[in-house]
Amino acid sequence: MKSPFCSLSFSLSFGIQDDHRLSASELETKYGTSISEGLSSAKAAQVLARDGPNALTPPKATPEIVKFLKQMIGGFSILLWIGAVFSWISFGIQLAQGTVSFIDQLYLGVVLALVVILTGIFAYYQEAKSTNIMASFSKMIPQQALVIRDGEKKELPADQLVVGDIVEIKGGDRIPADIRLIFAQGCKVDNSSLTGESEPQSRSCDFTHENPLETKNIAFYSTTCVEGTATGIVINTGDRTIIGRIASLTSGVGNEKTPIAIEIEHFVYLVAGVAISIGVLFFIISVSMRYKILDSIIFLIGIIVANVPEGLLATVTVSLSLTAKRMAKKNCLVKNLEAVETLGSTSVICSDKTGTLTQNRMTVAHLWFDNQIYSADTSEDQTTQPFDQSSPSWTALSKIVTLCNRAEFRPGQENLPIMKRVVVGDASETALLKFAEVILGDVMNIRAQNKKVAEIPFNSTNKFQLSIHKTDDPNDERFLLVMKGAPERILERCSTIMINGKEEPLDSEKAEAFQTAYMELGGMGERVLGFCHLYLPENEFPDTYSFDTDSMNFPTSNLCFVGLLSMIDPPRSTVPDAVSKCRSAGIKVIMVTGDHPITAKAIAKSVGIISATSETVEDIAKRLNIPVEQVNWREATAAVVNGMELKDMSSQQLDEILCNHSEIVFARTSPQQKLIIVEGCQRQGAVVAVTGDGVNDSPALKKADIGIAMGIAGSDAAKNAADMVLLDDNFASIVTGVEEGRLIFDNLKKTIAYTLTKNIAELCPFLIYIIASIPLPIGTITILFIDLGTDIIPSVALAYEKAESDIMNRRPRNKRKDRLVNEQLAIYSYLQIGIMQSVGAFVTYFTVYAEQGFLPSTLLGVRVNWENNAINDFEDSYGQEWTKYQRTYLQWTGYTAFFVSITIQQVADLIIRKTRRNSIFQQGNKVIWVGIFSQIGIALILTYGLGHVTALNFTPLRFQYWFVAVPFAILIWVYDEVRKLFIRRYPGNHLHPIFLSKENITNFPISSLLLQAGGTRTCIIKTHPHHCLLPPYGDLLPLLTKPLLLECPVCAISSMGSPHDGVKEFHDYEKK
Amino acid sequence: MHLSSELLQKRGNNPRSQENKQDEEVWVPDRRENETRANMGSKTWADLAAEMKIFLWNPEEKTCLGRTAKSWGLILLFYFVFYTCLAGMFAFCMYVMLLTLSPYTPTYRDRVSPPGVMIRPYLNGFTIAFNVSQPNTWQPYVDSMHHFLAAYDDKVQEEKNIECISGKYFIQGGNESEEKKACQFKRSLLQNCSGIEDPTFGYSKGQPCILLKMNRIIGYRPGAGVPVRVDCKVQKGNESDLRAVDFYPGNGTFDLMYYPYYGKFTHVNYTSPLVAMHFTDVKRNNLVPIQCSLNGKGIINDLNSDRFLGRIIFTLSIGK
Repeated sequence: MKSPFCSLSFSLSFGIQDDHRLSASELETKYGTSISEGLSSAKAAQVLARDGPNALTPPKATPEIVKFLKQMIGGFSILLWIGAVFSWISFGIQLAQGTVSFIDQLYLGVVLALVVILTGIFAYYQEAKSTNIMASFSKMIPQQALVIRDGEKKELPADQLVVGDIVEIKGGDRIPADIRLIFAQGCKVDNSSLTGESEPQSRSCDFTHENPLETKNIAFYSTTCVEGTATGIVINTGDRTIIGRIASLTSGVGNEKTPIAIEIEHFVYLVAGVAISIGVLFFIISVSMRYKILDSIIFLIGIIVANVPEGLLATVTVSLSLTAKRMAKKNCLVKNLEAVETLGSTSVICSDKTGTLTQNRMTVAHLWFDNQIYSADTSEDQTTQPFDQSSPSWTALSKIVTLCNRAEFRPGQENLPIMKRVVVGDASETALLKFAEVILGDVMNIRAQNKKVAEIPFNSTNKFQLSIHKTDDPNDERFLLVMKGAPERILERCSTIMINGKEEPLDSEKAEAFQTAYMELGGMGERVLGFCHLYLPENEFPDTYSFDTDSMNFPTSNLCFVGLLSMIDPPRSTVPDAVSKCRSAGIKVIMVTGDHPITAKAIAKSVGIISATSETVEDIAKRLNIPVEQVNWREATAAVVNGMELKDMSSQQLDEILCNHSEIVFARTSPQQKLIIVEGCQRQGAVVAVTGDGVNDSPALKKADIGIAMGIAGSDAAKNAADMVLLDDNFASIVTGVEEGRLIFDNLKKTIAYTLTKNIAELCPFLIYIIASIPLPIGTITILFIDLGTDIIPSVALAYEKAESDIMNRRPRNKRKDRLVNEQLAIYSYLQIGIMQSVGAFVTYFTVYAEQGFLPSTLLGVRVNWENNAINDFEDSYGQEWTKYQRTYLQWTGYTAFFVSITIQQVADLIIRKTRRNSIFQQGNKVIWVGIFSQIGIALILTYGLGHVTALNFTPLRFQYWFVAVPFAILIWVYDEVRKLFIRRYPGNHLHPIFLSKENITNFPISSLLLQAGGTRTCIIKTHPHHCLLPPYGDLLPLLTKPLLLECPVCAISSMGSPHDGVKEFHDYEKK
Repeated sequence: MHLSSELLQKRGNNPRSQENKQDEEVWVPDRRENETRANMGSKTWADLAAEMKIFLWNPEEKTCLGRTAKSWGLILLFYFVFYTCLAGMFAFCMYVMLLTLSPYTPTYRDRVSPPGVMIRPYLNGFTIAFNVSQPNTWQPYVDSMHHFLAAYDDKVQEEKNIECISGKYFIQGGNESEEKKACQFKRSLLQNCSGIEDPTFGYSKGQPCILLKMNRIIGYRPGAGVPVRVDCKVQKGNESDLRAVDFYPGNGTFDLMYYPYYGKFTHVNYTSPLVAMHFTDVKRNNLVPIQCSLNGKGIINDLNSDRFLGRIIFTLSIGK
């Protein structure tokens, strides 16, 4: 596997100079700067001119003109161009021959070219609009940096920084460039966006490591300073920073075609194939029927135009952007329109833990005091805590929690809910502060009343934090010593333990209870802290006693143990529901996290990624009390894979794991391993969605079929690489996105079926015109008015259709089987509904001609004379004589009538396409009415409003002709209702291919599988509340997943009916 | 690492592994497809041809194009029934529609009126060009005229048609289906242009006759009581190119008695009245565009889009 990271650390360390080794004064000379004075403005301007602004060059976008041209020749455009060119060629030939009367051809060519250009511009505009949303999004917050220049401190936009600038950083800032630190005080940086490690790392001015990536005296661009302050010299800016280099590596990972792009391509090929083969076939037929080559070319153009759904691609774009808008409302910002559908076909989601599945803040989850574990509320908006607070032990514990804590609320947030207030302090202390604030109220006030007299902050050697306070009880002159820290360390220092407010000696039994509780809480993946206190005797420590924290002139042992508190980054409350939705939607959720396996597993269990009943190999070993090696690995449905294991695995072994476990957690993984996991999933044929926020995630985001970046926590590089941005960082938003994506796929199917149908009604006139030599029933221009006029709004209206069944209850579509346009859909549209439409339209056509004096029998074979310009006394069936123009005008009336009939029947088509299985009476959609009215309205305007513009070939039509095709419209509707009834009543019937139902079979909700218990030995698959699928159901077997089968009681899938290989395999399969 | 390697080891010695393996064969369809897909890349043309052959006719499963005979039969049967029904419905609709039509008069005549105009002789267009001295250049025109006027022979007319009262519409009431009488239009009425005295219709003298006829429209009464008159002028050119035209019969009018027309089923022997234009003095050796138009109430002769409505434009080119 070739990962961009193989060469990463090499190229990066190569890139960073030796700056971390140099002393401050050497740096000053190297960059021509002064640590106290900074650069001069002139020098800075000079460097800025040389190096360019301190910003990442956005990934090289395709030039706008290329994008535009792509729209011009993409899809069907090429066919239309061919049509236009043919028109011009035939015009040229006619011009050369001296027949001037064929201006029509020039005109048609221009119209076709115009159609291509206009639809191209439209598609380009849509595309550009969605790109712009993204662009505006990334520009929202301009970053500022505090710089010393000309000896003064200045706030400058971060992109004005140059190499050699002296910048000051404080907690909460984003590092504005790669910086070599020259002064640091308690500085900690969060490098997670770079390395994926979530623990803040301390930074100092010391050169600690040869590798510039490891050394402590360099802080990297786009990471955040968590606490402390620092000053440093800018050593790299813009694309030359580490982040810049990773971002440029990302562009090396190829962009794959989205599933919907593949589908649309497939569809275009299908339709273009039909168009070209029919066109060529009839070209040959017409040539062999001794039509002139020129005429044959004109026929060819007509056939191509009739076959190409000109408006469809624009409609698809509109539908996708409508969905994108809807998704944006649900916090999924889609960068690439096509990604809308990709999310719907997703079969694997590789999700981050922190921030996506969890709330990204430590929260107190459990307490242990009085020998009992209490759970705390961990939801997002806790306002009270429900556990028992009457015990005096709790009072003592709460006091320690409140006092032994350095975290503080930033001032001025009194009106905000506690959970949303900003806190200065580390994650655990913040959790404790908020916890205390919720229960006790004004913590700061309590602290003020219990004045702090001494304090030892937490450090990693003694692993505790201690402070000494005056108490708020005026009668009590004793000092209170409070301490918190690693539980085992705290316990070591205690000799008593508080039970129900009374100090009791800490005997082995009580120590055992402590151990059990500690193990239990730790086993839940929680971070546990121990708390103890001691009231210092008044006589030894009088009011005036001066505490010295360096010499520790106070007791730090024989304290009184009070209790334990455990904290975790709790799952978001919406996530478990979302995960279970994913499950029923057949989407595998894989957790990929840098966290410890135990924590990862605990969160996975609590959100349902690992379901309650499933076990890992280790769990089984523990339950059966056998070594891990003896466990049958196939019995374990879940797996927790450590990043260290992953490192040594071959891709085959990874495939085994991905294949054989339905519930997988990858823990302790580095972000680059994410890429390996994504590739593994893609090898299984899955459509993979990946969430990520860090810079290092960007290759995985790009590699994924759909990369989802986090809007809040995500870095710009991640957002750039992603196809979609989750504005609220919430996993549940992905699920709503999936739902929308699936819905749009279904609805696009409907749109396409709707659009394809009338192609036959447009094509048949040409074929019959050629074969039977009747006057042309419908003109090319008129066809364009259907495709780009009356049909557009209804096809978009179909995008508003609601889901027919619970779309989140079926498996993701199989990329290779569930096509957007399949054989059945094309055949049903073309050979059944399309033919009905043609027949209806022809009835109208013949009626119009007959009522004007041309009986059908007269019309056959008249083409040559009819179109002869010189014959101006053309005799009709009644002996009347017609001039050429009178005939042409009648022909236009015919066009209009044909047009109106198609429109009327398209209303019926729209109604039947609304639903694919359900009856029209079962499902309403108000937007469809807009479609119907717009369709009829546009037709009315064209016929009556523009009926006198001869160039458009419309004539005001007698009103009764609008109704000639109505019986056929009704026929179409009734026919399709019967078909739907048939499908609902007899699912799985072998006549289904004719009736467009194979797709329905593959999409039935599999979660409603019911296997009848006991001796009857039949398998019933529920496809509908009232209908069941009976054998034979060979097609369905691949859909029955193992977990589904396990859900069944005694399984007896019978091989009744037509035997199927798969059925035999499962004969008498028993639940384990 | 330990996880997967153990997993791999476990496969062999597990009593259930064999059974499980079968599960997997069934449950992982994607994978098998992947393999076939991977193989596709390395396929040769021969393989493809063989596959195509199997697709066309698979002797094992007896399928043609992937379907068995029974399946094909069912599909064909379905479409046969389906299209038969559709054809039936189409035929029924057409039948009902035709029932509503009158066999004698079309339902609407708005598109065919006002009348258009045509000329005879009509060969390949509207340019009449000949050299007087070369009979083969004008003989086709003469033949065309004779052929056209055959139906107007006095004998034929006298035999089939009746004499009518001139200057009055010949309105025949009675049942619509009754056969209608037609008025005589004798060739002799065309006098110099009748081809009786001068069988070359003046072409041999460089004074060609051209016949003008008005398109037939059922029930149409041209001129609203006043006969429609024909006149000719040079179209876009020197007026003096056309110095004299004689019109026959009368002053170049269509007598009212020939109207209205009742349709070809009842008005069987109807012959359209004609106006002959005798171009006695036209500039020689020159292309002379001439427009002849009908004049009368209700006649439209100035429509840009239809240059044959109430008028006709043709070019005379008479050489020596």
